[in-house]
Amino acid sequence: MIWRILIFLWIATTMVVALLGAPLVPVLQETTRVLYFHVPSAWIASVALGWSMLNSILYLVRRDLRHDDQAAAAAELGLVFCIVATVTGSIWAKSMWGSWWNWDPRETSIFFVLLIYGAYLALRGSIEGEEKRARLSAVYSIVAFVAAVPLVFIVPRIYSSLHPDPIINSTGKVDMDPMITACFLSMLVGFTFLFIWLQSLRVRVFRLERRLAA
Amino acid sequence: MTAAPAVRVGGSKLTHRYGRRATGVSELEFEFGSPGAVAVTGPNGSGKSTLLRILAGLLRPTAGSTTVSVDGRDHRPADRRDVLGFVTPELSFYEEFTATENLVFAAEARGLEAPAHAASAALARVGLGTRAGDRVAVYSSGMKQRLRLAFALLHEPPVLLLDEPGSHLDEAGREAVRDVVSQQSARGLVLLATNDPEEIQLAARRLELHGHGLGDPA
Amino acid sequence: MPRAASSSTATVWAILRKECRSEWRTRYGLNAAVLFAVTSLTAVTFAAGRMPDRPDLLSALLWITLLFAALSSMSHSFVREMESRTLLLMRLVASPTEIALGKLLFNLLFLVIVEVVTVPLFLLLTGAPPLRMAQFLLILGLGTLSLAASSTLVGAVIAQTRSRGALFAGVSLPLLLPVLASGVSGTRAQWDGMPVDGDARLLAAYAVALFGVSLLLYDHLWED
Repeated sequence: MIWRILIFLWIATTMVVALLGAPLVPVLQETTRVLYFHVPSAWIASVALGWSMLNSILYLVRRDLRHDDQAAAAAELGLVFCIVATVTGSIWAKSMWGSWWNWDPRETSIFFVLLIYGAYLALRGSIEGEEKRARLSAVYSIVAFVAAVPLVFIVPRIYSSLHPDPIINSTGKVDMDPMITACFLSMLVGFTFLFIWLQSLRVRVFRLERRLAA
Repeated sequence: MTAAPAVRVGGSKLTHRYGRRATGVSELEFEFGSPGAVAVTGPNGSGKSTLLRILAGLLRPTAGSTTVSVDGRDHRPADRRDVLGFVTPELSFYEEFTATENLVFAAEARGLEAPAHAASAALARVGLGTRAGDRVAVYSSGMKQRLRLAFALLHEPPVLLLDEPGSHLDEAGREAVRDVVSQQSARGLVLLATNDPEEIQLAARRLELHGHGLGDPA
Repeated sequence: MPRAASSSTATVWAILRKECRSEWRTRYGLNAAVLFAVTSLTAVTFAAGRMPDRPDLLSALLWITLLFAALSSMSHSFVREMESRTLLLMRLVASPTEIALGKLLFNLLFLVIVEVVTVPLFLLLTGAPPLRMAQFLLILGLGTLSLAASSTLVGAVIAQTRSRGALFAGVSLPLLLPVLASGVSGTRAQWDGMPVDGDARLLAAYAVALFGVSLLLYDHLWED
């Protein structure tokens, strides 16, 4: 109960401060605001994917269904955050560069992550039997990770991109107005806690379902 | 003539559940050594077939473990197919191939030295010598059952796991099963899952499954 | 009967031969695959027409056609095994990895045969400019390796699910996007007179990674 309120307050406060109080990034002008939603969402989408895949490996090694719960819950949440990231990114792209979609390497990466989530969840939906579902989706998850590495990590680094890099540029320095940085990091933290909280809820539901059926 | 191998087959705290409700095998403990035959009996759904599948290394149990050791050497579930022969009604063959082709493939895959010879010997042993060149698609259910037996005997394994071996068989076929079981009992170990009283007679020992608990080697 | 030294290579080889013989006897898969490839090829080239001066479109269309051909035909190796219920037979004579390798080699051979028919036809119908043969074949070959590795693994996974046909393409696509990207890029580079080694290296690394990871995972696929 307390978490729900805390997280809500945190994110709400940050949002208000960011939208009303923080200055605009010169390059981005009015579109700066998307920064506070788009990047944290993309970040969570990636974190969720990583967490899901890690738990897939753990399940195969330890055969503990709790790892499967984590993997499945993370995938469901990750999908939601990924959709948010893709849509906000597309809106941003439209206002910045005039077109909704460019197959820019970063855009491609997030879309690709979306596809992986979709395939993983579709696969899970078509398998009967807890252990079989856990096992087969874990196998797929691990292979998808191998596919993800080139597309998500390597390609954007190599090919030049339309994508703005105000945060992590080649010198690795944080290069923005401190107010923006503070709001952004605060939003990032808020989203992370949101994810952790939702994840714990979803995992609990899975566990309760299992106990109910037993 | 090589000495008969010393075989031990055992299970420890063996448990398997299907889905969320149905309990198959529960906390099963047993150990049997060669030579000889053991009849695994119990009502339908008590887990006889499940037990054989677990022993064969095909099914991972929910909990517990099994051991199969030949001449003191332990075989992990993933590697047991080399030392055991398994007959089950669920075993199907490639219908577009002849019986010989099916067994030759099996022999080649198993790495046997003279695949064609092994195949024809196994087929002759179960009485399919004359029909070896027919495609399995035209086989009757009785002939398919004999083919399953031949397949299990192909590599002359020390352990035979037979799940309802007499099903679909006429008297001549059951006689073949009796011969196989008595020959195998002399040189190795046979586990026979069945409720057929005649087949139960073939075994000196018995493991009774109730869906729970211990089986008493008689 | 004395047992020959248990050789995995011999087992894989036996499985490969069995697959070929099985395919030859029934011929369902190959006929359907070639027919599908030619059909999609015809549709694509008919709609797009000749484009001798558009290497970018040519490479995209070529790879799309290959992708469709692969997605439509590659699942049948395992699905057939499931439907005829012969997987148990396989599992009793070979390890999961050996089974997978045998089928992978078969899928590779199958894809190559389909490509031998489709690719020249494609080049002909679209009026494609002359190839730099070595580079073209290199990119095509490396891409085919990944296609085969991915299709074998996904085929093995979805053969155990309920809605096989519909799932195969969707589940395969994320794994095949890297192939598509580098394949199209490399094929185009070859026509543009640019070097292909960047794409070739990516394709090779990906094929190796995919192959390596899937080999580790096959042992977990069949446990019931």
